[in-house]
Amino acid sequence: MKHFDFVDVTLRDAHQCLWSTRMTTAMMTPILGAIDRVGYSYINILGGAVFDVCVRYLHENPWERVKLLCSRLATPCDALTRGQSLYTFELFPDDIVALNARVLAKRGVKVLTVYDALNDNRNLESSVTAGHAAGMKVNGWMTYTLSPVHTDAYYVERAKELIKLKVDFLCIKDPTGLLTPERGRTLFPAVVKAAGKIPVQLHSHCQSGLAPQVYEVAMQSGFRAGYTASEPLANGASLPATEEINDRARRLGLGTSMNVTALKEVAGYFRWLCEREGKPCGRVAQYDAALYEHQIPGGMVSNLRYQLETMKLEHRMPEILEEVAQVRRDLGYPIVVSPFAQYVVTQATLNVVQGERYKTIPDEIRKYAAGYYGRLAAKPSDEFLEKLNLKSSEIVTERPGEHIEPWIARLRAELGVAASDEELLLAAFYDKPLLEPLRKPAPEYQFRTTPLHELVSWLGARRDIEHAHIRFAGTEMTFSA
Amino acid sequence: MPDRELTYEDLLQIVELIKSTSHFSEFRLKVGDIEVSLRRSGGVAPPAQPAQSNDAAHAPVPAPHKRDKRQFPEGVHLVRSPMVGTFYRAPQPGQPAFVEVGQPVEPDTTVCIIEVMKLMNSIPAGASGVVKEIVADNTSAVEYGEVLMVIEPR
Repeated sequence: MKHFDFVDVTLRDAHQCLWSTRMTTAMMTPILGAIDRVGYSYINILGGAVFDVCVRYLHENPWERVKLLCSRLATPCDALTRGQSLYTFELFPDDIVALNARVLAKRGVKVLTVYDALNDNRNLESSVTAGHAAGMKVNGWMTYTLSPVHTDAYYVERAKELIKLKVDFLCIKDPTGLLTPERGRTLFPAVVKAAGKIPVQLHSHCQSGLAPQVYEVAMQSGFRAGYTASEPLANGASLPATEEINDRARRLGLGTSMNVTALKEVAGYFRWLCEREGKPCGRVAQYDAALYEHQIPGGMVSNLRYQLETMKLEHRMPEILEEVAQVRRDLGYPIVVSPFAQYVVTQATLNVVQGERYKTIPDEIRKYAAGYYGRLAAKPSDEFLEKLNLKSSEIVTERPGEHIEPWIARLRAELGVAASDEELLLAAFYDKPLLEPLRKPAPEYQFRTTPLHELVSWLGARRDIEHAHIRFAGTEMTFSA
Repeated sequence: MPDRELTYEDLLQIVELIKSTSHFSEFRLKVGDIEVSLRRSGGVAPPAQPAQSNDAAHAPVPAPHKRDKRQFPEGVHLVRSPMVGTFYRAPQPGQPAFVEVGQPVEPDTTVCIIEVMKLMNSIPAGASGVVKEIVADNTSAVEYGEVLMVIEPR
């Protein structure tokens, strides 16, 4: 019997999409035991946004979270980086990329997953080499988008490049949920064929509501695994629910290792967590044809509306969204993900407000067009290139990591020999003041919980209750303020 | 040990019932083998939901301050902001400014940066001449078309 495997994203992409990445370690620890029993092949615990939000907003040391989750989970853990940009949108030198891989492996990560927002696989070379050298498996992602140049042949070429780099897994990542079952029927078999013995996975979001069907096409095409989330934190901007994809796999006659009882416990906990924390659960999205035009992820549309309101430009939103499609064509079809989503949207706003295309071009877009971040998917339009007027000295053709000098020697000299590799990396990524709050001691984590326990602590936290009495089966308790 | 454990579904139902009756000072619930009774201090409204994280993206953005409609002498070249954004005189904090008053500039000399929606836009002088005045304050919010600098043409 053929088998379909699952990779969990509840602790990473699910709350990144639905809760602006605000799930704390303390919210995760009580349910790790049950997640472990579900039967996932891997659990994705880290990504760029998780790392950044830990530092900037949660004031948690991300390295401590990685170590804790890896040591508590028997299921192997997976960490995602943006290749040469790691957790940010800048480019880092090869020595920092390599050190990051060693630190992740030392902290217990078993699979290093990497992607590049331009699909320039030269930006993944240093990560793949360093990941393997550190003893991890490496998973190479290709980012899906819709454009005249992102054809099936384009993705087959990218898959061949990744295979040449000797990745252990291949994955199609669809950050905005643009894949349709129709496209899957041609794209998926082509990629599976190119991958040969290397297992292919699917990672697609649910903005268009089509992802569960797309997963089914992936299973029929020979994909070996899919990324999914626990039901309360699935759907909408998040990924499909493990429960639903498991049902679909079994209906197609595929074997899975999912433990339905454990899945139910995990879902119960996260549904309760949404209520306790006042955060939204995922909702199934309606099909939205406009998504296929501007391709802006859901979170970014609301962010753009907010930014335009502060500039008193909200009435120009429809024009700006229309201009986004034009700018994307002119710029050679960048994929509308971070950081390029912001580039395209900002340029479209400048064009609309100034009433003239490309009168002002942000410096970052200039660098993008010059090849500083990597190869473009297609040649930019003549109109844009004429306005840009690049000098030959600006144009970069080599691998982006090559034009960045090593940093470790300089950082060692600054931080002293006593600094750990983890501290050195944090100093490479962040300014000192941002790292100050990370020194606070971690809270006492709770490693198990029950609904009764949650009820008691919830009642205990409410200041309006002065007396409570609970009797349940053999248990009886009373507390008074 | 009880033969049936309290489930998360039970918990969500109990909490919903408690929240929806917060204006009563007494609460008693008995469903099957679960019994919950509560007494509240005067039936006041429940405390607000846990505070949402202080997301920088939702922090109020200071409104750009309106500058008086200043008149500039004829014949000078005005460097204007291409967008609503933030005006920076130097490439990085702590570094020297791009230009100072009295400095000669060419049309493509970068005179400042305007940050628009987190992206940096190098602004050229747009004319050859000498920087006569720097009108906008460093790091201040500027509006679309606002005069940033005055260039005395050569």
